[in-house]
Amino acid sequence: MQTSLAKKICIYLGAALLALVIALPVLWLFIMSISSSTHLTTLPLQWWPDSPTLENYRSLLIYAENTPSQSFLYAIRNSIFIALAATGLSVAAAIPAAYSFSRMPGPRRKNLLYAVIAIFMLPPVALVLPLYTVMSALGLLNTHFALIIVYCSILLPFTTWLLKSNFDTIPSDLDEAPIIDGANRLQAIWYVILPIARPALGAAVMMSVLLAWDEFFYGLLFTNDIRAKTVTVAIADLAAGRVADYGLVSAAGILAAVPPVILAFFMQKTLVSGLASGSVKG
Amino acid sequence: MSSISLSNVTKAFGDTNIIKGVNLSIEDGELVVFVGPSGCGKSTLLRLISGLEEISGGQIHLGEKRVDQVSASNRDIAMVFQSYALYPHMTVAENIGFPLKMAGKSKVDIAAKTREIGTTLQLLDLFDRTPKQLSGGQRQRVAIGRALARDPQIILLDEPLSNLDAALRVDMRMELARLHRELKATMIYVTHDQVEAMTMADRIVVLRDGAVEQIGSPLELYLKPVNQFVAGFIGSPRMNFWSAKTDDNGRLALPSGMALSLPCPLGAQQAVTLGVRPEHLVLAPDDGAAALTGTVLSVEHLGSDTFVQLHCGFATRVQTEINVRLAGIVPVRIGDNLSLAVATMDNWHVFDEEGLRVKTEK
Repeated sequence: MQTSLAKKICIYLGAALLALVIALPVLWLFIMSISSSTHLTTLPLQWWPDSPTLENYRSLLIYAENTPSQSFLYAIRNSIFIALAATGLSVAAAIPAAYSFSRMPGPRRKNLLYAVIAIFMLPPVALVLPLYTVMSALGLLNTHFALIIVYCSILLPFTTWLLKSNFDTIPSDLDEAPIIDGANRLQAIWYVILPIARPALGAAVMMSVLLAWDEFFYGLLFTNDIRAKTVTVAIADLAAGRVADYGLVSAAGILAAVPPVILAFFMQKTLVSGLASGSVKG
Repeated sequence: MSSISLSNVTKAFGDTNIIKGVNLSIEDGELVVFVGPSGCGKSTLLRLISGLEEISGGQIHLGEKRVDQVSASNRDIAMVFQSYALYPHMTVAENIGFPLKMAGKSKVDIAAKTREIGTTLQLLDLFDRTPKQLSGGQRQRVAIGRALARDPQIILLDEPLSNLDAALRVDMRMELARLHRELKATMIYVTHDQVEAMTMADRIVVLRDGAVEQIGSPLELYLKPVNQFVAGFIGSPRMNFWSAKTDDNGRLALPSGMALSLPCPLGAQQAVTLGVRPEHLVLAPDDGAAALTGTVLSVEHLGSDTFVQLHCGFATRVQTEINVRLAGIVPVRIGDNLSLAVATMDNWHVFDEEGLRVKTEK
């Protein structure tokens, strides 16, 4: 299909606009993060600081007791642990769930599937009170475990749906063939279905980690000190003091984006690979 | 040890009966073809034997062992799928070796066995490719190779050639026949292509609406179809049918007026359906009595044969046109009038009102 020049220009303009909208705030965040706090409060504002400084990063990354760095570094650790654990658990549970929803349909399973999505639609506010009561009764407030459980309940419906719709596209011959070849159901999933669904699996992991990483509401309510506070809450804390140091907040924002970016970088190949892999027949 | 027997096997999906009580026994080393129109249940029957579907009733035995409650992975049956169902993320070698891996064989054994199969099927050069890098015929051979990996005693093939082009299909057909001779494995082959069925089968099972219509050797089905359905299904172009009625003496006359003295007992005033295959109609000799006369509607010259469609204005007809297959090149043109005869009385098929073959005396 030939695209006309005008059409091409429009497409590129649109892409450029989108890139600007997404990139500009990040750029501004970065500029703020390398500016000193005096700089950020003097008028008129400058586009680029006269003396860029990494002081903000230093004060976040070099550990010292009772400083922002302590709460920030602990929060990063908490966030990584909680996000990975919640993702691991929810994907591990979503694989068999999605497989059974996809391959063994029935009225009861179908209803369950819709129940799951209905619960997924509920706003967190609706669930936070009962959850809080339960967690408090179990003595789990301000622990990693509480957040992992809560995040699993958010991630599981999402990953299950994502994987189910991907499994649906895999021809059923491809899980019957390994059975004929002497594999049991779990082996068929492990050796055939999962490798084929690898891009979807990658997407599920990626999105789950991001969802858990970015979560703020439950993190704010269920944690109260460095033992369990997540990075979103820690950043908010930086801004919530008597004086908000915007340079510090910005640096924390940039740093908080680093782990997901690294993850995305390594997952990129998985996400793309196999998308084009051969189907069953010619 | 690898005979298969089905007794009164049924399968229902909900209230719909797909397989309606099939009895069948397949000898060790036999190649049996399931044939029938689409939706007749032939693939379902294959899946019941493989264990991919559970039967609703009846019993299946492989050798002496009853297997209908055994899971598919433990029946030790190999199967070639219509779609080939190759594992897209594995190389050809890994695909062929997969059943061995599942059987817990050592890497050395797997490599040796896959090489052996690769040699037989001429796949060695392709061992490092993935399925998407293969042509249809190559994929087909990999699928067969995977089925052969475990030295199965029973191999099921579900329309294995239907995705190949015509020339390749003939080659693969011969290759499959050769493999069958070499392996001496019991094979069940499902197809809707009656040429495949006729050329490959030791015995053919004709299915319709989930029931067996006839079981027999290809020639048995061709020469003595038990009913009108089998008669029409086997043979191409299909058999010509028209209805007729005996006179008060139980004799049959053709529309042309020619009397037929068929060697089968018919009552007076009995309605029957007469059948004759297109290839059994020949041009009537100038002085002989014609069985049929009609106007040529269309002619297809194939060189080896000439297909003619003839319009014979019968009063009581099942079909309007009569198909004729004349050997060699025959100078016929549209609009010509043709007189045809039937070579021998054995070439007539007579079916009663239920469509069942009226057996000849003797």
